[in-house]
Amino acid sequence: MRAKRVDVESKVLLDPTASQWQDVPSEAAAMGPTPAKSQNSRYAQLWAQERPYGKLGSLSVRSAHNGKDIAFLLEWADPTQNLDFLDGKSPDGAGILFTLKGDAPLATMGSESRPVNAWFWRADLAEAAENLTASGLGTLERAGNGQIAAGSKWDGGTWRVVLTRPLAAGGQAEHTVQLEAGKTTKVAFAVWDGDLAERAGLKSVSQRWLDLELEA
Amino acid sequence: MTTQSETTPRHQLAMVFDLNKCTGCQTCSVACKVLWTRDEGAEYQWWCMANTLPGKGTPKDWEQMGGGYRNGDPALGHLPTRDEFGGGWEYNYEEVYFRGKGRTVHLQPKGDAPKWGPNWDEDEGAGEYPNSYFFYLPRLCNHCTHPACVEACPRGAMFKRDEDGIVLRNEDRCRGYRFCMEACPYKKIYFNHLRKVSQHCMFCFPRLEKGVAPACARQCPGRMLFVGYLDDPNGSIHKLVKEWEVALPLHAEFGTGPNVFYVPPLAPPRLNPDGSFDESTPRIPTEYLEYLFGPKVGQALDTLTSEMEKKRRGEPSELIDMLIVYRWQELFGPFTQDPAEIVWK
Repeated sequence: MRAKRVDVESKVLLDPTASQWQDVPSEAAAMGPTPAKSQNSRYAQLWAQERPYGKLGSLSVRSAHNGKDIAFLLEWADPTQNLDFLDGKSPDGAGILFTLKGDAPLATMGSESRPVNAWFWRADLAEAAENLTASGLGTLERAGNGQIAAGSKWDGGTWRVVLTRPLAAGGQAEHTVQLEAGKTTKVAFAVWDGDLAERAGLKSVSQRWLDLELEA
Repeated sequence: MTTQSETTPRHQLAMVFDLNKCTGCQTCSVACKVLWTRDEGAEYQWWCMANTLPGKGTPKDWEQMGGGYRNGDPALGHLPTRDEFGGGWEYNYEEVYFRGKGRTVHLQPKGDAPKWGPNWDEDEGAGEYPNSYFFYLPRLCNHCTHPACVEACPRGAMFKRDEDGIVLRNEDRCRGYRFCMEACPYKKIYFNHLRKVSQHCMFCFPRLEKGVAPACARQCPGRMLFVGYLDDPNGSIHKLVKEWEVALPLHAEFGTGPNVFYVPPLAPPRLNPDGSFDESTPRIPTEYLEYLFGPKVGQALDTLTSEMEKKRRGEPSELIDMLIVYRWQELFGPFTQDPAEIVWK
């Protein structure tokens, strides 16, 4: 996967419908459900065994940076737009996962010695995406000052969500992935279908890390 | 897993509600609401609520919503919707009181007509006149011995306190996953749609720390709400639950080991068409009380009845004296501190 260097203003990239995104090639990330066994409580494991979740087969990813900020446009099929928790369902969501120390076990959201950094968007959070860190199942925590911005649009069965952040992020390196033009880093994705009441570990995820090369 | 493994707490706080004295006045419900659930996002939350039984209560038909345990394993539950809880209505105070429409518009909730609320089927009960029946059942978090909510949370945000067994939550760790809400078979956990965390009765633990009884207990004008340590052999709770066995758990088959107990309700006799008493069968069907409180309910009612007869004959009865609560402070175990007399340093 490649983050294409483009000469586009960051606030334009933040708009998922901006025509400039058409010039950025998209890649399909294969997605699948998280294993039932990796849910972090007996209740959640039973839920994963008995109820449908993780149905997204493929997520389209476009990535671009302008030397200052990097942006990811995620597009996926979702017939229903879910914005709240009112009906016993969840808001739709998406996330991007990075490693903080080179490599990390993807299946457990990192480990103590190999933490991960997540950029998290949920439809009820609108433009306020979260910067999170994790070092194993159930350890997800807000990591402060991620400077992550989000733009989103659901249109007739498709979500388009942009997550952007300055390449050189403020915040300590232990919480926030440092991104640099010319370098390659590992990346993975997650999508939550709120209509199935997906949340926590009940989601569609990319089955393995992808190598993301930031064009110099 | 990060979830708390189950160890027995050093002590277990518990409550007993004497349903023979509950008038459904909702002072307990309001005491709790005024203290804990006034903030935005908590409008519809009633951590304590006295519903009428038989009835669907809140959330609507909660007894059919699953959760708890079956054969030692967690059982999947339904995540109640905001409408199933109902309530939290916004009223048209502005136009009625301040915009001159007081004579033309009823005071009513804004928006669509409500379809359910926290006490929607109050006083409906069951049966046919003159043999209809109902009673009140206040419900709140049972601070269970095997709390399904604690087990269900993948983040360990719910936990059972070691010193007194009350079930608390860490709202910083909570990310609003709501497995706790599905898992609780009593459906006494609410979701705060503004703060995106789950919330529930926490036994007024800040009051306990000052020796003050929970608000529901201290405010109850019916003197029917006992608070104390289940494991204190000298306390009322222990005597009512373990010795006299007149205080019973609600839906023990849910498997969570609730620590809120109920003295089941006696009822007046049924009436024959000619107005004479029909004592062949109780007014409140025994099967219904067994459905709620288990197979020992008949025995509990018999104990109550025979002890009451003793009192009527002028003989002493420790049990009835305990349930009469001649001295109000006897309800609260060690928590007899008057909050108005606390010296704040």
